[in-house]
Amino acid sequence: MTRTRHLLDLDGADRSTIERFVARAAEFKRGVPSAARLLHGRIVVGMFFEASTRTALSFAAAAFRLGAHWLDFKTESSSLGKGESLADTMRTVRAIGADAVVVRHSESGFAHALAPHFGGSIINAGDGCHAHPTQGLLDAFTLQEEFATLDGRRLTISGDIKHSRVARSSARASSLLGAHVTLCAPPSLLPRDRPAWGFAAASSDLDAELPSSDALMLLRVQKERIDAAGSPPSSDLASGFGLDARRYALLPAHAIIMHPGPVNRGVEIAQAFVTDPRSRIERQVENGTFTRMAVLEACIGGPS
Amino acid sequence: MDPTLDLDAIRTIVVRNGVIAALRDDAPVAADPEVERVDCAGMVLCPGFIDPHVHLREPGDAHKETLASGLAAAAAGGFTAVAAMPNTRPAIDDAASIRRIARDAAAAGRVRTYVIGAVTRGRDGTTIAELRSMASAGAVAFSDDGSSTASLKALYNAALSIADLPQPFLSHCEDRSFGDGLMHDGAVADLLGVTASPSIAETAIAARDALVARATGKAWHLCHVSAAETIDVIRWAQGHGVRLTAEVTPHHLLCTDQALLGYDARMRVNPPLRSESDAAAMRRAVADGIITIFASDHAPHTTEEKEPPLSHACAGFSGLETAIGATFHALPDVALAVMVANFSTNVAALLGVAGGTLKVGSPADITGLYLDRPWTVEPHRFKSLGRVTPFAGMKFAVQPALAVVGGEIVV
Repeated sequence: MTRTRHLLDLDGADRSTIERFVARAAEFKRGVPSAARLLHGRIVVGMFFEASTRTALSFAAAAFRLGAHWLDFKTESSSLGKGESLADTMRTVRAIGADAVVVRHSESGFAHALAPHFGGSIINAGDGCHAHPTQGLLDAFTLQEEFATLDGRRLTISGDIKHSRVARSSARASSLLGAHVTLCAPPSLLPRDRPAWGFAAASSDLDAELPSSDALMLLRVQKERIDAAGSPPSSDLASGFGLDARRYALLPAHAIIMHPGPVNRGVEIAQAFVTDPRSRIERQVENGTFTRMAVLEACIGGPS
Repeated sequence: MDPTLDLDAIRTIVVRNGVIAALRDDAPVAADPEVERVDCAGMVLCPGFIDPHVHLREPGDAHKETLASGLAAAAAGGFTAVAAMPNTRPAIDDAASIRRIARDAAAAGRVRTYVIGAVTRGRDGTTIAELRSMASAGAVAFSDDGSSTASLKALYNAALSIADLPQPFLSHCEDRSFGDGLMHDGAVADLLGVTASPSIAETAIAARDALVARATGKAWHLCHVSAAETIDVIRWAQGHGVRLTAEVTPHHLLCTDQALLGYDARMRVNPPLRSESDAAAMRRAVADGIITIFASDHAPHTTEEKEPPLSHACAGFSGLETAIGATFHALPDVALAVMVANFSTNVAALLGVAGGTLKVGSPADITGLYLDRPWTVEPHRFKSLGRVTPFAGMKFAVQPALAVVGGEIVV
């Protein structure tokens, strides 16, 4: 696996980069005998300025399986709040011996802001509305596992596209692997350029997209992030861009259902479909750990 | 070069007692020991350039800029006068503050400093300030720059209350409900997932304030216009007899939101850098005579204050020392007489101040330019304490070479 210093986003990635991550994640899933020695003695620091259960846990499990130590940086009581500059904090974290910092923050570009100040690797676990690259990779992995190849497959992503870092990263990773991606949202929550973000189709009519979709990815309604003057209410998103029984019937029989979690049951996805045989929501979580193993290895693996 | 005299020729400017005494077209007379001569060969001498929009940061933020460093930057940049915006801490919102800033500035540098008063107390957007007293104390204009006057009622009544006075209102057009925007709401913000402010945040306030100008008959001026749609508002107003002028900054002529790719927090500015079509619309509006004034919006911050993340970075650039070079660079096809008028004559007319002409009897405020002496922007050489500029490393052909204020050479 080629080494990479940081993983900030997938914006400049090419197809072969995505393929390498996905292939390595698949190897870890099948089982790599010496995996627990790959990052023996390395230290990975989790800096989660925004609440996270599954991503933090998934990264910690990935570090554990590779033999690395996971340390939590207590963001709420950190010296950053006492006026210490980002640069000083990052130098301190490095001096303590951290090889990688996994960071989540509510501001887009936050991981990018850390990178110049840290001698080790910065891995972005979600920055505002911008990127969530490991989610993008794990979604691409899950899709590839399902369809063998994404070339010619159609992925529909539905919900609050504008404020979704998952949408940006998953759409890009899947598109790079050959999928045709359509973003579904009210016009105010879609990118304005066409193709969207330079590569995706866009629509405000989810019903029209469903019959030709091989995979439907529903986005979490971000109740905590909604600005009441900036976005329609969540009820509008749920009714217009969520999954109910009527829409389920519009999907082809082979289509799968995805969701980055955590699910608001009965909001963007009706209760019954979370555990439907066509739901891959649990598989996504499972694949997340293998994907993050591949990412950690690429960033801090090999001779130190 | 003087647009007011329709003059573009080789002349000798004779200055006596700080006033232009004669423009002679013969060779300088033989050595007279009483007369100091300044050789300006190769230079274009213009009426002194006046920057109608600078932030000198005193009182309250002397770590960003002082009156002395700001005025030194103005002189180095080729300006003979500046108008200081009142969004200091505290705001310049009463007659005593107007007098104090004018007095302190006169002591701090030789570049003339005109003082702009706040429209509302503490720039709160709702409480009308003592405009008449400030006018008596020498305020040349009124503005809540840094933001828009929030209350239409306050703005309308403020304008009416001094409708009999000449001082214009200068509007910073940016609707407050979009105040959380960190950059222009366009395709680049879509990619970056950054909270953004759309063009309509500017255009809607520009339209509101143009209507206030029409309703009150007050002379009005739109600061740092940045959105293509705002040009339509200005054109409409000017076509309907509203006394409305507008300014543009060098960065809105030359830079776009592409500069924010990679989350470059230094490029944060209000109003934000917009799309290439917006920048092109600004250049066209100057060529069409819709925008008739240039302003630097000199807004110095320390380098640390311009660091990422974007939400923490202060908005604005150090602009006085690059304004002339950058503006000429952006507008190579605009006639020299128009460029000079936009930097000088039209600004003097807006603010109702002396200068803007080389007519005999005028104050001897003169800006000298080399039109083709390429130079590179090196922020570490700035006189300004603010070193962050979008033009670092760029090469400009037009270089300010001389600034004369009241007959005294300041640069």
